[in-house]
Amino acid sequence: MARRYDSRTTIFSPEGRLYQVEYAMAAIDHAGACVGILAKDGVVLAAEKKSTSKLLENTVSSEKMYKIDDHLACVVAGITADANIIINYARLSSQRHLYQYQEPIPVEQLVAQVCDLKQGYTQYGGLRPFGTSFLYAGWDVQYGFQLYHSDPSGNYGGWKATAIGANNQAAQSILRTDYKAEINVEDALKLAAKVISKSMDSVTLTSEKLEFAYLHRTEKGTIVLKVLDSATLDQLLKDNAEPANDTM
Amino acid sequence: MSIMEYNGGAVLAMVGKNCVAIASDLRFGVQAQTLSTNFSKVFPISSKCFLGLSGLATDILTLHQKLVFKNNLYKLREEREMSPRVFANMVASTLYEKRFGPFFSEPVIAGLEGPENKPYITAMDLLGAPVDAHDFVMSGTCTPAMYGMCETLYRPNLEPDDLFETISQCLLAAFDRDAITGWGAVVHILTPTGVISRKLKGRQD
Repeated sequence: MARRYDSRTTIFSPEGRLYQVEYAMAAIDHAGACVGILAKDGVVLAAEKKSTSKLLENTVSSEKMYKIDDHLACVVAGITADANIIINYARLSSQRHLYQYQEPIPVEQLVAQVCDLKQGYTQYGGLRPFGTSFLYAGWDVQYGFQLYHSDPSGNYGGWKATAIGANNQAAQSILRTDYKAEINVEDALKLAAKVISKSMDSVTLTSEKLEFAYLHRTEKGTIVLKVLDSATLDQLLKDNAEPANDTM
Repeated sequence: MSIMEYNGGAVLAMVGKNCVAIASDLRFGVQAQTLSTNFSKVFPISSKCFLGLSGLATDILTLHQKLVFKNNLYKLREEREMSPRVFANMVASTLYEKRFGPFFSEPVIAGLEGPENKPYITAMDLLGAPVDAHDFVMSGTCTPAMYGMCETLYRPNLEPDDLFETISQCLLAAFDRDAITGWGAVVHILTPTGVISRKLKGRQD
């Protein structure tokens, strides 16, 4: 059916679809789940780690969570190798802006820069699109805390709460019912624990398979990305997680 | 008129016992006219590394901004701070990149190196040729005067408070021998437990 129109990104199908882009998005639906929740005093990001072999040596502190700048962080779903290229580009883009304007890059501008890069790979060059989606958490002086989602097509949107990766539809429906505006970071962490536990493949709900972090403002006014340590995370999961496979 | 003497200014760094000091004057001026008395030429890079820049003021600012750019990317990729020695190398490379159209600024770097917090100072010319010293380094428009003061007053293994007194006296006396340096000074003492910064008020002329 779609075979004749899906081998190149640079051609439309007769129905007006870009199959390569859609296949890229399908790749992400098999990746580890990620959840983002916007609170009034911060942004919470949670992710399920996929590679947890005991033999694995970690070169970076996180497989899913990345700092782009002091006021910006993101969580990745999809092909890690593709994500590394984009994260590097995002970091350079952020520093270039800081160098030119001597102020931190506004969150939406950074997201737009990354998305413009991703869009290029859907229209010209003949190269395949990036197989990664991101959830960006950031703060700027104009709009405060913000949460964005971008996908391989280069499209992005601002969200109050969203999920990507495996079982994201289930996660999103829970967020739709349980998310309350004016939620604070503490409650957002609890909600994230509940949501991500329900969308995880494995039964083990420990800090080994999960990464939780939140962006918030300290009393001094600096923006900080706080990654939860395993003890705090285990406690949070114990108190708030609900197993995915309830037999009730 | 030399381009290195257009704005004026001076930076000095000294080694003490498990501590380093780095200081600069606070004048910003255009030839004879003083425009600001709050222009510090010392910039923190990390809690254990400070950078001082003398020379043309616009190049001081641009060089600092470029180095912040490179340092931020290093911290994001390496997930650790740059050590003073490595930072000094990066400064030297950055300067040499402009070998045939250089930045008119001569840096001074002071920091505490490694887990043992060994004092480290270095200075380089505008093309990035470094010189490591164990006692003191300086750059600016009154280096002859600063050399004289430091050779006289410096003793090794000074405690932080004594180091502060020594570097302050060297600065203030040297500045008074240069018309385009002075209008106050800022001194930072780096110790393993933290940084102490003080402002000095000298002759306001």
